[in-house]
Amino acid sequence: MTLEDVRKILDAEFIACGELLHRDVKTACGSDLMSDVLAFVKPEGLLLTGLTNPQVVRTAEMADLGAVCFVRGKKPDKQTIKLAEAKNIPMLTTPLSMFESCGRLYRDGVVSCFECGK
Amino acid sequence: MTAENKISKVQELVYEIRVGDVMKKNVITVGPQDRMSEFGKILREKRISGTPVVDQGRLMGVISIDDFIRWLAERQEDCPVERKMTKNVRTLYADEPAVQAVNKFDQLGFGRFVVIDRRDEKLVGIITKGDIIEGLLKKLEVDYYDEQTNHRTIQSFFDDVLADKAALFFQYSVTGHDFNKAGETASRIKTTLKRLGIAPQIVRRVAIATYEAEMNLIIYTEGGEIRVRVEPHKILVRVEDSGPGIPDIEKALQPGYSTAPEWVRELGFGAGMGLQNIRKCTSKMGLMSVVGKGTQLRMNISLDDGVASETN
Amino acid sequence: MGSQVKLTELVRGLKLSVRSADGDLEREVTGGYASDLLSDVLANSEPGNLWITLQIHKNIVAVASMKDLAGIILVNGREPEQDTIEKAEAENIAIMVTEMPTFELVGRLYGLGITGTK
Ligand SMILES: Nc1ncnc2c1ncn2[C@@H]1O[C@H](COP(=O)(O)OP(=O)(O)OP(=O)(O)O)[C@@H](O)[C@H]1O
Ligand SMILES: [Mg+2]
Repeated sequence: MTLEDVRKILDAEFIACGELLHRDVKTACGSDLMSDVLAFVKPEGLLLTGLTNPQVVRTAEMADLGAVCFVRGKKPDKQTIKLAEAKNIPMLTTPLSMFESCGRLYRDGVVSCFECGK
Repeated sequence: MTAENKISKVQELVYEIRVGDVMKKNVITVGPQDRMSEFGKILREKRISGTPVVDQGRLMGVISIDDFIRWLAERQEDCPVERKMTKNVRTLYADEPAVQAVNKFDQLGFGRFVVIDRRDEKLVGIITKGDIIEGLLKKLEVDYYDEQTNHRTIQSFFDDVLADKAALFFQYSVTGHDFNKAGETASRIKTTLKRLGIAPQIVRRVAIATYEAEMNLIIYTEGGEIRVRVEPHKILVRVEDSGPGIPDIEKALQPGYSTAPEWVRELGFGAGMGLQNIRKCTSKMGLMSVVGKGTQLRMNISLDDGVASETN
Repeated sequence: MGSQVKLTELVRGLKLSVRSADGDLEREVTGGYASDLLSDVLANSEPGNLWITLQIHKNIVAVASMKDLAGIILVNGREPEQDTIEKAEAENIAIMVTEMPTFELVGRLYGLGITGTK
């Protein structure tokens, strides 16, 4: 699946790096705790989160994530969007909840990008 | 720009940088008439290993901690430093290309040079090999934003530098409680390591570990220093603060243990995973802390066996 | 969409381990809510929702109780703190745990007919 497919499935819109819409998405995770993402996530995954502060972009940058999607219609401020653009990290926003978003993507074949927990 | 163009640009840059661009300018000096006892006090207070001896801007010699120790051992009377200093000083001119300076370091085996102005021979600064490399990297950061395609050439350039057994040094200050800037240091470190051509899995591990450490500085302390040292076979990171310290280190290292306040959790931190995460990303990690004094975290990431510990 | 799934069925179907209030698993789940931000759950979850989170602090029980949630599932191998369990027993809030990360657990709950807010 591509980011463009994700956008359609989640009724989402691009808010950064929309030109990377053909990027491949095979794995995803849903989390609002960045250390958890940093600890367990494999590179190239899609992060679904309700947080919109710059640390989300930093986390994506450090962990080499493939993209970030904000849930519940949330959008980060301009500064954070600019940071994502500078770091080449595509960002989307969906009106759906985290639960609904994870559910739909899993249904359509995306698998977890967490390496097993503890 | 083609790959060839880029290579020559790197080389140009190397010759472009002058000693004066990268030297340390605020040099502590002593006068020829200053007493040895005063010099001793400066050594202790400033934690330096020697200073140039300067008379009205003119370089008269250098005096080092070795000279001081010899004077102590001889149990002689206090005397002016000019009687104990080395008069024949090797110097560099501020307008010499930095690369030539690197060669001199190697030929003469010196750790540092005093830098003087070519016209009036007055002291203008002091320089170490580390200063040159640091300056070079800074320049590269400015001029080289998308050199990703060009990893190999830059790597071979730095391989040469590394072959001299020179370690690369970077130092960063992190300001406490500045949540918006949090991650800038880790980001810079990541960019620089990538630029050095270090394997992406290793870069990722260093980036994650330093980011966690940086977040801890920002959340729990007034700020601190992050020092990175790149050696041919390993990367060493030292993170130091003079914050509140950690009362029970064993507890702090347990996954899930956190004293982060609610507002930190609302920002996505405070899961109590950070230190464990750092351990996971490093080959070796050491945490030392004194309550009321501060905390020191050391990490060692091996460049040789590193790939095994995290799948990618 | 109001599903008729009971907690017991989920515990069985997804091999969840129950850590508190195991006598209260007949409750019907109205939907799912996945979040690690307490303020978000307070603001946006619905009564009867099943809450998926990484948080293990006892405050999660207070939130679940205040919002009349059906129960809490802790993911990624997290275990509730002792006082979290005690508080959950006292307030009759079922806490379950799983090794699965949020994305996968939600995906499988979704497959069992539990949806999130759209
Ligand atoms: N530099 C420091 N100075 C003082 N206390 C510290 C420092 N670093 C860590 N701690 C203490 O150790 C605890 C555990 O740190 P750790 O980084 O593992 O988790 P956390 O910061 O609480 O949460 P997370 O890193 O998951 O966001 C912290 O909650 C804090 O009490
Ligand atoms: Mg931390």
